[in-house]
Amino acid sequence: MHGQAVVVGVGESTYYKHGGSPDTEFQLACTAVQNAAKDAGLEMNQLDGLISYMDTRNSPLRMADALGFGEIKWSATPWAGGGNNSSATMHLADAAVSGGHADYVVAFRALAQGQFQRLGSGAGLMSGMAPEGLSWGLPYGLMTPAQECALQTNRWMHDHGVGQEALASISLACYANAQLNPRAVRHGRPLTREDYHESRWIVEPFHLFDCCMENDGAAAVIVTTPERAKDLPGKAVPIIATAQGKGPDIGINAFQERWFPNMYYGNVGKMIWERAGVKPADVDVLQLYENFTGPVLMALCEMGYCEPEEVEAFVADGALEGPDARLPFNTSGGNIAEAYIHGLEMVVEAVRQVRGESTCQTKDVELSLAVGGPGYAPGSAVLFGPAL
Amino acid sequence: MSRYLGDNFILPNLTPNNTPFFTEGTVQIQFCKDCNHAQHPPDDICYGCQGWNLEFRACEGTGTVESCALVHHPIHPALKDKIPYVIAIISVDGAPGCNVQGNVVHCEATSVKIGQKVKAVFEEAVDPATEQKLLIPQWEPIASE
Repeated sequence: MHGQAVVVGVGESTYYKHGGSPDTEFQLACTAVQNAAKDAGLEMNQLDGLISYMDTRNSPLRMADALGFGEIKWSATPWAGGGNNSSATMHLADAAVSGGHADYVVAFRALAQGQFQRLGSGAGLMSGMAPEGLSWGLPYGLMTPAQECALQTNRWMHDHGVGQEALASISLACYANAQLNPRAVRHGRPLTREDYHESRWIVEPFHLFDCCMENDGAAAVIVTTPERAKDLPGKAVPIIATAQGKGPDIGINAFQERWFPNMYYGNVGKMIWERAGVKPADVDVLQLYENFTGPVLMALCEMGYCEPEEVEAFVADGALEGPDARLPFNTSGGNIAEAYIHGLEMVVEAVRQVRGESTCQTKDVELSLAVGGPGYAPGSAVLFGPAL
Repeated sequence: MSRYLGDNFILPNLTPNNTPFFTEGTVQIQFCKDCNHAQHPPDDICYGCQGWNLEFRACEGTGTVESCALVHHPIHPALKDKIPYVIAIISVDGAPGCNVQGNVVHCEATSVKIGQKVKAVFEEAVDPATEQKLLIPQWEPIASE
């Protein structure tokens, strides 16, 4: 086990329905970072490192100047994709502080989809001509992550005899857990199995409730060394292991035969279990990024939780619902029912579980895992250990 | 033939790497002249032997539906009267490992199945900027009776 870096602060803005934020995206980002610093007991001028992902709008240098950071010693972003890198933020933060490159590194992600466009709207794809990288799909109306993931999921369900109820179980667990969480955008909006099946199709096999929400909000996580954490008032949550990447025989061009269907979590699972010296059954609580329910099931199997042929039973009968579930899962409601802050809110929830502060608190949590978005390379995961 | 999703729907912006696929009227896949590796999408280097000696070859124009999905939510305004439509991943005969994206046309969208054999047909379009003629590969079922 590693444990040379610890989370000392988490912060969030209020989470809103998309387009519902009265604040700009940059204001939301600043709020989350300020809240994380307050939570840690740090002054702004102690922060000296910044990490985000798929963010071209909230520059780290603008953030550092605006909030009064000290000298900046680390700025980094993982390559490629989007929510697949939510846990890679912890990989980079761990590298920064355990390598001695920076003292207090903050990872953040902010989205204001009223101010800017929704990711799933296909916005930017509406012009008459598709650039080369998108030209293979757009002229055929293959335009969104939901459609790409549906093609992956359909083939996987076909090959392994997985039924629609398995997908439903993921969505129902997120909604059930969100009912315990007043921060959740879908708090007070319970979902029944009938509601799920009656909801409109987006792209088969995904109903509306198989898809994550899109939201306005921001989240932030501050990482430092265990030695520095001793001088801070709160509980420090050790990073036991991190992983990001893809296998050598797993390509970035989706749909090609040797890696289709695939969610990029086989090698991430192997790395995280080897580095931590534990196995899936040792993990007390799991946050697994839902872009869509099908990829969640596929990633669960690729990470070694069960075989695809067993997955329907593995997630059935409320196996994922509530603090005392067979596998406590997406305990804040996740991207489907808490808020879609591109998965960083799920890293925050994984930390909260170790601190004992979740609204759906699992008992005696020692190992808490947050897994990034499936279906796009590189995959990422972070395992947190017992609080110091 | 006219286009599955409407004659005014999004066209590929032609580049050296995608022009053969979208203009030749055959299913053009990139092969390495040195090691015979087939790859899609095309790129500037062979992923098999790292050589630069690449060429496009016409495949026989048949394939298999590796996956398909019925789209109900129209992301683009032009798709509102096209739903539900079917998107598919097709493995190309003669190009080992290469899967292309497309639609399965000339049949009910709901009838398309994984494992189904298909053959290429081509949609005609004109690039509005260059007036170059495009022939966009699509796929139709091969009658199995």
